[in-house]
Amino acid sequence: MPTLDPFVIAGPILVVVADIIVYIAVGKLGKKSSGTGGKYQPFTGGEEQIPARGTYQSELFVFAALFMVVEAFALILAGSFASPTNFYPLLFLAGGGGIILVVTWWLIMVGGMRY
Amino acid sequence: MEECDTNLIATEVAEILLFPGLTFFVWIAFLFDWLDRKTSARMQSRVGPLMAGPSGILQPVADFFKLTSKEEIVPEFADKFIFFLGPPLFFAAPAIGIIFIPVLGTTATVSNEYDLLFVLFIVAFSALMAAFLGYAAAGRWSTIAMGRLIVQYTGYEIPLILALIAPAILAHSLSITGIVQSQTWIWYILYAPLSFIVFIVSALAELEKPPFDIPSAKTEIVGGWMTEFSGRPLAYIKLTKNLSYAFLSALAVSLFLGGPLGPILTPDPTMQAALYFIYFVVKLFAVGFLIFVIRTALARIKIDQAVRFFWMIITPLSLIQLAVIMLAWWK
Repeated sequence: MPTLDPFVIAGPILVVVADIIVYIAVGKLGKKSSGTGGKYQPFTGGEEQIPARGTYQSELFVFAALFMVVEAFALILAGSFASPTNFYPLLFLAGGGGIILVVTWWLIMVGGMRY
Repeated sequence: MEECDTNLIATEVAEILLFPGLTFFVWIAFLFDWLDRKTSARMQSRVGPLMAGPSGILQPVADFFKLTSKEEIVPEFADKFIFFLGPPLFFAAPAIGIIFIPVLGTTATVSNEYDLLFVLFIVAFSALMAAFLGYAAAGRWSTIAMGRLIVQYTGYEIPLILALIAPAILAHSLSITGIVQSQTWIWYILYAPLSFIVFIVSALAELEKPPFDIPSAKTEIVGGWMTEFSGRPLAYIKLTKNLSYAFLSALAVSLFLGGPLGPILTPDPTMQAALYFIYFVVKLFAVGFLIFVIRTALARIKIDQAVRFFWMIITPLSLIQLAVIMLAWWK
C-alpha cells in the first residue's frame, strides 16, 4: 500500500490556518465599520439608487455557474480515486453532491438568480 | 530519535510557511507587481513606481500596508460571512498551490502522486472564490463582473486543463515533482510548444490580465467584482492576484521549462540547491516578464470575443497538441 506524506494533508491546513491568523492580525491595523445609510450602500457611480443586487435571467449564466462548481468537484473526486479503499471516493461523492445542492440553492434563492 | 522527528517536522513547517514556501512567494508576488508596473510604464513612456525604496521597488508593500490601515466598510446588503471569510480563502488557493512547486531541488516541499489534479482544483477554486466574493458583495458592478468572470471561466478552463495534461502525458505522471524529474534531458516546451502557448493565454484569462481583463474592466464596470471591497479585504484580494501571478508562472516553469533543473551540476549539495534556486528564479521571472509584456501590448476584447476565441482557437490548438503527442508516443 502506498504511504501518504502526512504533510500532503497537514501542509494545506497549515497554510490556511496561518493565512487566517495573519488576516485577523492585519485587521487590527484598520478600522472596520458596518451599518446602514449612504456610506454602506453599493457604489452606484453617481446614478440613481439601484436595487441592492442585480438579478440574472440568463440560461448561459446558470449553466456556466454550475459548470464551475461541478468541475471543481469533479477534480477532487478524480484525485480521490488514488486512495486504496472506496471510502474517500464515496465521501467526496456525498460531500460534493451536497455542496453542489447548497451552492445551487444559494445562487438561486439567496443570490436572486433566475432561470 | 524523537528530537530528530521534531527537527524534521520543524524543517518541513519552515519550508511550507517561510522558504521556499509562502513567505518567499509573497515577496515574489510583490516583486512581480513592481516589475509589472515598471514594465508597463516603460512600454507606455511613463516612469512607474519611484518613491518607495530604490526605483520604487517597495511600492507594492507600501500599497498593501496602506490599504490594510484604511477603513474596512462592509456594505449593508453584503453577505457578511463570505465578505469576511472570502478574502483569506481566496488567498489560500495560490498559497496552497505553491507548496507543490519544486524550488530548491527536483522534489517539492510537499508532493503526492496526484498533486497536479489538486493544483487544477486549486485553480478552479480560485475562480470560484472570486465569483462568490463578487456575488456576496451585492453591488451592481460586482454582480455584472461576476457574470463576466464565470462566462470567461467556461472559455479558458478546458484549454487550461488540456494544456496541463500534455506534460503529464509526456512524463507519465500526475505529480508536479514527477514531471520536473522527467525533464532532466529535455524541457517539455520543446515537445509541447502549443500547450505552453495555450497555458500562457489561459493564465492571462485566469489572472484577468489584458486582453482578458473583462471581469475587472475599470473603464466599464468600475473595479469589477472588487468594487465593494475596501481596506484589508481589498489589500488581500490584490495580493492574492499577484500571488496567483507568481504561482501560475511557477507552474509554467515546473511543467514546461524543467523547474529548477539547469545545465550545470555540482557534487556539493548546498551549492547545488543554490544553483537550483537561481535557475528557478531566472525562469520564473522570464515567464513573468513574458506575461507583463503581452498584457501591456494588448487591449481588452469583449466577453463574447474572448469566449469565442477560447472555444474556436485555443481549445482546438490544445487538442491538436495532445493529438500530436499521443500519435508521436503511440507504440
